Amino acid sequence: MRSDWGVHEVIGFFSYFVFFMIIALIFGIAVLGLNLQWGFTGLFNAGVVGFMAVGGYGTAILIGRERDAIIGGFELPFAIGLAGGMIASGIAAIIVGLATLRLREEYLAVATFGIAVSIQLVALNAEWLTGGTLGLIGLPRPLQTWIDGPLAYNCFYLALVITVVAIVYIGLERMVRSPWGRTLKAIREDETAAASLGKNPTRIRLEAFVLGSMLMGLAGGLYVGFIGYVGPFDFQPIVTFQIWAMLIVGGSANNRGALLGALIVWGIWTSSGYLVSNLVPATYQTQGGALQVILIGLLLVLILLYRPRGLIGEEDHVSLHAAAGSSRTFKESS
Amino acid sequence: MRSLLLAAAALGLGVVSQADAQESCPIKLGVVLPASGPMGQVGERIAETGQFAADLFNEAGGVKGCEVEYLLRDTQGQPTVGVDAAKSLIDVEGVQALIGAVSSGVSLPILTSVAVPARIPQVSCCSSSPSFTELAQSGETDGYWFRTYATSRTQAAMGALLTSEQGREKTAVIYVNTDFGVNLAKQYKKDIEKLGGTVTAMVAYNESQQSYRAEVTSALDGDPDSLFLVAFPVDGATITREWLSLGGTSNLIVNNSLRSGDYLEAVGPENLADLVGYDSAQPRTESVATFNSLFEERFAGPPDGPGLHSVFDAVNVVLLAMEASDEITGAAIRDNIRNVTSPDGVEVYPGVDGIKEAKALLAEGKTIRYVGATGPLQFDQWGDVSAPKLTWRFEGDKNVEIKYYPLDEVDALIQKLDN
Repeated sequence: MRSDWGVHEVIGFFSYFVFFMIIALIFGIAVLGLNLQWGFTGLFNAGVVGFMAVGGYGTAILIGRERDAIIGGFELPFAIGLAGGMIASGIAAIIVGLATLRLREEYLAVATFGIAVSIQLVALNAEWLTGGTLGLIGLPRPLQTWIDGPLAYNCFYLALVITVVAIVYIGLERMVRSPWGRTLKAIREDETAAASLGKNPTRIRLEAFVLGSMLMGLAGGLYVGFIGYVGPFDFQPIVTFQIWAMLIVGGSANNRGALLGALIVWGIWTSSGYLVSNLVPATYQTQGGALQVILIGLLLVLILLYRPRGLIGEEDHVSLHAAAGSSRTFKESS
Repeated sequence: MRSLLLAAAALGLGVVSQADAQESCPIKLGVVLPASGPMGQVGERIAETGQFAADLFNEAGGVKGCEVEYLLRDTQGQPTVGVDAAKSLIDVEGVQALIGAVSSGVSLPILTSVAVPARIPQVSCCSSSPSFTELAQSGETDGYWFRTYATSRTQAAMGALLTSEQGREKTAVIYVNTDFGVNLAKQYKKDIEKLGGTVTAMVAYNESQQSYRAEVTSALDGDPDSLFLVAFPVDGATITREWLSLGGTSNLIVNNSLRSGDYLEAVGPENLADLVGYDSAQPRTESVATFNSLFEERFAGPPDGPGLHSVFDAVNVVLLAMEASDEITGAAIRDNIRNVTSPDGVEVYPGVDGIKEAKALLAEGKTIRYVGATGPLQFDQWGDVSAPKLTWRFEGDKNVEIKYYPLDEVDALIQKLDN
């Protein structure tokens, strides 16, 4: 027969790993969006999942099949669906942003949280558009008919997601290092000072908010395309918490940290289930759920105790002239 | 390392088959249920009952002489977590069948993105959404979807039947705004129109409000001669009181959740004399009593809670199908689920002796019919089951049964309404 770690196990593990990476990197895109908002601009968006939902539903409506009594089902190509989802969440962000961005920190958090809940309720009730509680089923997965076998398909989808992540990452890196990016930080640190230098904080905050929300919409669209289904259940408030945990653990204001955080936190979240299911004796299996939640919380707390600024914190930025003297040994005093 | 290279080579050549048979002991059964989160209370009991079914099966000798390992993973009530758990069970643990999940919103993504692509049958104890039937009908489940929980389809049919039997022609519908309520109400409308009635208003209500005056007022439009109410006891009582006080008819037709003392007490028996309702009936077979007594012996309490009977049957059907398969693969289990629930098979019952007998019959190459905790299970071609029903009304402070509708009568009714 076969040894303990034969070819089947390796393929199985690989197949699972591909699947894991797809979901983790899709989360990663949303984390990058949040990083632009919170990490670089200091906008406390507690409604991440709302913008993912708008993007997800937007994509689903554009790519879905024609269905009775539901507007949409345009059967458009996936790329157009994704773009449409992003535009939809961008528009939602403009509306939300204009209404709320004058609020500061906790007030903005409460407002955006409320908006995310409202979006979920719209998804639940606007049956003519979202399919209501039933959601939208049977969404075509991009190029599915062309690629045979689940593993090959997942490899393809992972390649697609990695490409998108790479484009987003490179784009964001360029942006945050540009004068515009420095303005974001200036606003984050001291809005009055930035305004006194002739910058328009309100406008720039709105730009960062809209761009970040569009990335969350992109993540929603990619998720929906991969799963082939969208429903109001997919966008529970806990997803917002998960995205936040990823950003804080990975390192706020660092795009590599954001991606690393997505992998680590999603890894902890899922592997804890594997551990509990394999280590807890059969008779206590049904209590394993509680144990898993405790384990997740414990690991997150431990990481933050030892790495309070996240695994990779923000890079220190100093004036070129100062850096010339003391190079990389300079540390921000905080 | 060598096996990694081999794997890479296999990938490159595209010869990877996901349908590898599981040949060695123990036999693994993948279970994805919400053991924590908002559904945790319900899910934990369901998980324990599933485990109990596997334990009994093991006592009867397991599957093909192998012990069954019940691998439970928590979905936390979150689709992404559930999908990941299912994928990990299939890929890393090598399970060839999945039990779960509870919420339709979790079961559906697992089905479309994990189970069907991997050709692994998924049997849910509790997901009631009609979306699954729709998916199956459009050929997107490849027959890998089953559920041991009767859908709201039959409930709508029973509601419509009661309405027309009472001679009502203009019915208002008030329903709870959840997937359960929405689907039931929509299907009811179709059914009652087929039976010659009309619906004057369809009004959804959101749960846990202080008053439903607005909803009731709009339901009163069009002068209905009856009200079909899909609600749960507390809100249902509020709605009924307001309905009656605003001059609504006392001809109520209600769903099974209102067959409760709380509802009766809150509205008052004198106001509910004209009320009729339907409910799922426990089939009148010995197997149900057998399950109930087995359960009480093990858990020191009766099996009253959602999903307990149906998860017990889900696990048993899957394990019997594994036993009946020559090689334990997802496709073989899918096909053999039909062979162990065949209407013209030899009847077998739950419990250690029943399973032993079933295994002996399967060894002789016979087809069997598992009659379990929910009675005789019979999957239609879309993987759905139906259940016997009963109608009831309140008499004084008790609810009494009016009529029992065995499975074939319910099936005939559905047939009539769907064609």
